[in-house]
Amino acid sequence: MNKPSMRKVGMVTTETSEPSALATAAPDIQIMAATAVGLRKIYGEGETEVRALDGVDVGFEAGKLTAIMGPSGSGKSTLLHCMAGLDDITDGSVRAGDTLISDMSDQDLTLLRRETMGFIFQAFNLVPTLTAEENILLPLLLGGNRPDEEWENTVVQSLGLGERLHHRPDELSGGQQQRVAVARALVTQPNVIFADEPTGNLDSKSGNEVLGFLRRAVDDWQQTVVMVTHDPLAASYADLVIFLRDGQVVGELRDPTADQVHDRIRALEA
Amino acid sequence: MRFQILLTLRSLAANKLRFLLTTFSVVLGVSFVVSSFVLTDGLLKTFDNIVEDANAEVDAEVRASSEFAEVEFTYRPFDESLFETVAAVDGVDEAVPGLTSAKIVPVKGDGDPVQTTGAPILSFNWTSGSLSALTLVEGEAPDGPGEFAIDETTADRDNFVVGQTYDIIAAGGREAFTLVGITRFGEENALAGAVLSSFTLEELQRLDDSEGLLSFIDVSAAPDVDPTVLLDRLTAAIPSDLEAISGDELVEEAQDDFGEIIGIFGNILLAFAIVAVFVSTFIISNTFNILLGQRVRQLALLRALGASSRQIRFNTLLESLIVGLVASIVGLGGGVLLAYGLRALMDSVGFSLPSIELIIAPRTIIAALVVGVGVTMLASLSPAKRAATVPPVAAMRGGFRFGSGEGTRRTIIAIILSVLGVVSMGYGLFGGADNTALLMATLGLGAVLVFVAVSMFSPLFSTPSAKFLGAPLEYLPGGASITGHMARSNAARNNKRTASTAAGLMIGLSLIAMATVVATSLKDSFRAELGSTLAGDYLISEETGPGFSNQLAARVDALPEFETVSAVRYGTIRVDGDEKGVAATDVTVLTELLEVGVLAGDPVASAGTDYVLLTQDAADDHGVVVGDELEVEFAATGKQVLTVGAVYENEFLIGHYIIDLSGWDANFAAGNDNVISAKTAPGVDAAAAEAALAPLEETFPQLVFETRAEFSERVEGQLDSLLVVINVFLGLAIIISLLGIANTMALSVLERTQEIGLMRAIGMTRRQTRSMIRLEAGVVSLFGALLGVLVGLVFGWVAVIAIPESIIDRLSIPAGTLAVYVVIATIAGLLAASMPARRASKLNILEAIAQL
Ligand SMILES: Nc1ncnc2c1ncn2[C@@H]1O[C@H](COP(=O)(O)OP(=O)(O)O)[C@@H](O)[C@H]1O
Ligand SMILES: [Mg+2]
Repeated sequence: MNKPSMRKVGMVTTETSEPSALATAAPDIQIMAATAVGLRKIYGEGETEVRALDGVDVGFEAGKLTAIMGPSGSGKSTLLHCMAGLDDITDGSVRAGDTLISDMSDQDLTLLRRETMGFIFQAFNLVPTLTAEENILLPLLLGGNRPDEEWENTVVQSLGLGERLHHRPDELSGGQQQRVAVARALVTQPNVIFADEPTGNLDSKSGNEVLGFLRRAVDDWQQTVVMVTHDPLAASYADLVIFLRDGQVVGELRDPTADQVHDRIRALEA
Repeated sequence: MRFQILLTLRSLAANKLRFLLTTFSVVLGVSFVVSSFVLTDGLLKTFDNIVEDANAEVDAEVRASSEFAEVEFTYRPFDESLFETVAAVDGVDEAVPGLTSAKIVPVKGDGDPVQTTGAPILSFNWTSGSLSALTLVEGEAPDGPGEFAIDETTADRDNFVVGQTYDIIAAGGREAFTLVGITRFGEENALAGAVLSSFTLEELQRLDDSEGLLSFIDVSAAPDVDPTVLLDRLTAAIPSDLEAISGDELVEEAQDDFGEIIGIFGNILLAFAIVAVFVSTFIISNTFNILLGQRVRQLALLRALGASSRQIRFNTLLESLIVGLVASIVGLGGGVLLAYGLRALMDSVGFSLPSIELIIAPRTIIAALVVGVGVTMLASLSPAKRAATVPPVAAMRGGFRFGSGEGTRRTIIAIILSVLGVVSMGYGLFGGADNTALLMATLGLGAVLVFVAVSMFSPLFSTPSAKFLGAPLEYLPGGASITGHMARSNAARNNKRTASTAAGLMIGLSLIAMATVVATSLKDSFRAELGSTLAGDYLISEETGPGFSNQLAARVDALPEFETVSAVRYGTIRVDGDEKGVAATDVTVLTELLEVGVLAGDPVASAGTDYVLLTQDAADDHGVVVGDELEVEFAATGKQVLTVGAVYENEFLIGHYIIDLSGWDANFAAGNDNVISAKTAPGVDAAAAEAALAPLEETFPQLVFETRAEFSERVEGQLDSLLVVINVFLGLAIIISLLGIANTMALSVLERTQEIGLMRAIGMTRRQTRSMIRLEAGVVSLFGALLGVLVGLVFGWVAVIAIPESIIDRLSIPAGTLAVYVVIATIAGLLAASMPARRASKLNILEAIAQL
């Protein structure tokens, strides 16, 4: 297994030039952490067929926080899952950096996720039998890698988890749990972090904290974050919002404000 | 009520997999019980038929009368002149003389004597006519010197061909005989592995060293004569040391004899089956508890919708009733199949049983139902009680957990149970149990109580134990250390689950460990005793059979290489009305060959027909000392007054009563030797002694010539084989407990679907997932296995104490073997989790995470 080549694929540390066209329309101009071309995902067959993704071309810029928005059932989660190699696709192709993942084996996909992706789910993010610290280090431990202690410290301190490292998940508040999940996503310095409604189960204060951390991860540590949300306020933390409806990309918004997002959603749902 | 039943059925149907897993262990337990009944009932019926068949035309039999057999399993022979008397009795239609010999061994074409796996090698005198159990299927009947016939099964198996010449080994040595015919015994030649050859009466008498002797005379009544009248006439005509019994009685006697053996066989099977059932009770109880935990929400919802806690309890019990019924019915079918499987297995190891009749007695069906339903209901009592405690609000508010149990109450109950268990076992071993049934009952009950108590105690320490035992997993290399860590903490996660999952293995392994400890102690005691007691250098004996020619001892004695030689014969006498084993030997050389430890008197002076030698125990029993008289009853000569010639200490190999060979000859009708013990002359080395014995070995290939060390090895080997058989049967319990482990792991995987999905998402490979599950099972198994060995050691130790000093005088712990058992059990547990492990690794990640 050629691990190093998978790591840091498409990792960007330099500024990207001001995009002149839709990111979705010109995936090969920007340096992209993940791209999809002609992505189609169909559940079921015949009568019960659901086109969760119906020809999606999308690229997630490296070093940016991208939000995916859309009405419920529009395919947001499905898109995230397909991009992360958690779900197989019906048609099209998906790349992580330059690596075509849409026909990789389960084993290779698992290693790819472990080494180049971070995950934050809406709920049930942590393994109940492991301490906060073990949960944070889990991807590294699974790979048999030693944690980079300096980096681990930086992440833990900036997330305010220093006191909580030896607690088990059931001894943590929802906000703390979600911060542990963020720390876990960051600890491997992945190429891209996928977050599916990471604040969906949190009160607004904790939610804002988590969003703040994701923003900082992008600004201070050049991380790439792709976040599904249906909260316009959450989306306003993003550099770019991509709108989905009925499994298709129907627009995007750069450097959005909450109000702008709100209006677009209103329009989509109308 | 109807609604509740409907609900229960729905719930079972909705969880087919869980239902199957739950039922399976009960099905196995029921199957074992049923198979032991079906097999014994079938065998019994078949043997009854065979016996009836073989004696169908016999109206009466004349034979030596005795209330006991002077040599086990044989008729005392009587003089053949009696045949004329019997045949001449008015009303006798047909009379045939009979002689049975177990001293004759046919030699196959390849030069090796025929062999059986424990079944006897018998010879009959050929008789034609309706009274004979033998019919000719090929060739001619033996009709003169040098002719013999053999049964068709043996002929087929060992390639005996009519017209060819074969050696026959008999009392006097080897002789060439021509095979003239092939016979069939009864309708099927179902001899259960025995070999049956036949000769003319004269030849058989000569070969058997029984010139002029018969074992029995079979008689049929003339058409116009009532058999009972004939019986009276026969009784009047024969001397008082013979008896005439009716054909019906004869059949009944034989059926009882077979019945007893089959009964013992059946009871042994049943005992193993009960162990299996016991283990499956643990497993099913564990399963119910886990399922219950997973159904809290559903139960709470029912409560919220208005179901009373009584209704909940009823529902849960109803569910287990249905599980139990289904398991009983399936187990009934499985048991029948298993019975036929066992039969086929025995067939394949050379113990060919007749085709058994399929008999499903009402008793069998009742047993299946009692075991199946009983075990399931019993196992579900406590889960049902706990189910009823789920509060309605748990439906809305997740996170309801059952209390981890009534800690102190549990401990108190466990203590009471263990005390009762120990008392029961102690009573059986050291006190009151004066018969085998009571002994077995008290021991069994005691063991069950101890097992239950241990399994109740073990949650107290299962979590720390699992952590401790799993500690090495933390140091696995690379990415395996986190899977090891997860496995370890999962094994320590739920103390009760770990404890009850391990309980099955604990029970199986403790029984195996106990058997191994007892067998090893027995072997070591035997070896040590042999070394200090047996002074003879060579032993000649036979593996099975009622003895061999008494000419051989003289031939060994004639060899200059041997200084001291004596034959030993084993028979039965009665003292104070009780049957006792007696050994006959040349008492003048007794102490040279066997260090019996003479305490009083002089064996050398006890030669002749008037003396008996006793162990101190026997002397104490009868309240006699050297010089006193003791009345001894012989089967052939009745009561005789003997003088106690010596009292000795050690009954090893020889028993509590010894008479001189001359005393045997005077009081026994049979005259076979069972063992010859010989001591080499000074200066004769082993090679020379063996060379001297070689020609005799050639002549008597059915006998075992061995040095003391070889003898010891052979006996130890037999003990080892017995241990293997016992452990194989106990292995059934292990298999059930492995199923239990697989079951628990499957349910645990189900329960942890979400976290497994999460870990898969963030980078746990399928392999890592599998090894995580397997290692967890390994830790639980290791815990169960170690606990089992520990309990087994205690049981073994108690057994060693309870068994008389003369049989086992030391405790030997085969640490290496026990360690191997633990390792095997752990690996087996690890592998048993393969199926759930694979399921876990194949989970669809997204569906798993999205669960609930
Ligand atoms: N496993 C599945 N099987 C069938 N249909 C599914 C499955 N997952 C999602 N869908 C359907 O696909 C569509 C998109 O779902 P999803 O991506 O979860 O939407 P969103 O996250 O935007 O709410 C929906 O109509 C949903 O019902
Ligand atoms: Mg969604």
